[in-house]
Amino acid sequence: MKRVVSVSLGSHLRDHSAQLTVLGETVAVYRQGTDGDLAAARGLIAKLAARRAVDAIGLGGIDRYLVVAGRRYEIRDAQALAEAAGTVPVVDGSGVKATWEPRVVERLLEAGRLHVGQRVLMVSALDRFGMAEAFFGLGFATVAGDLIFGSRINYPIRSLLELEEMARKLLPEMVKLPFSQLYPVGDQQTAEPDRRFARYFAEADVIAGDFHYIRRYLPDDLTDKTVITNTTTAHDVKLLEARAIRCLVTTTPVLGGRSFGANLVEAALVAVSGIDADHPEWPGLVERAGLTFSVRDWREG
Amino acid sequence: MTLAEALNGFVAECNQDPRLREMNRDWSRQIAIVATGHHGRRAVWLKSQEGILTSGEGPLASPDMEITAPEEMLIDIFSGLLSPTEPYNAGDLLVRGQQDDMMRLDILTLLIWGG
Repeated sequence: MKRVVSVSLGSHLRDHSAQLTVLGETVAVYRQGTDGDLAAARGLIAKLAARRAVDAIGLGGIDRYLVVAGRRYEIRDAQALAEAAGTVPVVDGSGVKATWEPRVVERLLEAGRLHVGQRVLMVSALDRFGMAEAFFGLGFATVAGDLIFGSRINYPIRSLLELEEMARKLLPEMVKLPFSQLYPVGDQQTAEPDRRFARYFAEADVIAGDFHYIRRYLPDDLTDKTVITNTTTAHDVKLLEARAIRCLVTTTPVLGGRSFGANLVEAALVAVSGIDADHPEWPGLVERAGLTFSVRDWREG
Repeated sequence: MTLAEALNGFVAECNQDPRLREMNRDWSRQIAIVATGHHGRRAVWLKSQEGILTSGEGPLASPDMEITAPEEMLIDIFSGLLSPTEPYNAGDLLVRGQQDDMMRLDILTLLIWGG
């Protein structure tokens, strides 16, 4: 049986192991958290690779690549982690997200859960450009909040063209910064929300993007909003429920009724198929994997 | 080019760009810049108020942020020849103040000269 491990910068308290069946093959999957310790993550990856204990490694809690308009920018801290794996494939879930998340938006639209013309706030778009491209392309009035929520610069990005320009100008240098400067880590993930930018939430019908950004800037009121995000814990759901959201869509892939991190699913797909996200057959492979997503609508009980 | 000239150029680029003015509209800061070199230490400053930047020479009494680096490096940074990221990561560019302010300066230089 193929084996894949997700080495996560998240808490070790969420470690688990399971089996998932993808493309007809069962894969043993493990998640090991390193509590934000990059050196520990690197050591664990090196150990797994040296033992030839795994067929692929997923990186959790950190992006390796930001893929924008066909250009790929590699985050330096993640690159250092990947290098520790030698020849073992290391993936971060971006390959699955780029293919899968636009489909989630399309399916929500087809199902009538989203409506063209709704106002969308993507708290971070450069880390899920496929989703941003879908929202802009389908005609949603979309604000990308990368500068607002990533750098506390009060400037909403309102077009795909400008988002691409920002990526082209900023990302080649920004990816060299320590990951902790690019993304909420450690105590920032549980700190009291910063409400400076609450008006952007108030002005949107749909809030989308990484939950740690949403959590860090969470306003007191989200009445009737739809939230589209990735992994949420039971506590996170309570936070959103207390703010009276209408609907929560979790894009984290669900396979066989269980939810797995995108990096784990991508690692399993790579292990089973032997191809990665650069391969022309990759989008079809993700499509055939039969991923689904989760919807909880409070109006439906 | 002198450091004062480089700073003046940076200020002019920021002030003539409506997008950068919008980004800085609620950013009020006084930034002391200390250039080191064979001549000793030279002090210049950068101020931001309601989207407009100004610069000048001399020390500031109570700056929000202080940047210290070799003069040639500062000239290169404020004239777009060098991104501050690498020298900052290497410890050659010392910053006392808020990390957000340093990142903003980084972003301003990249939006003017990057890509």
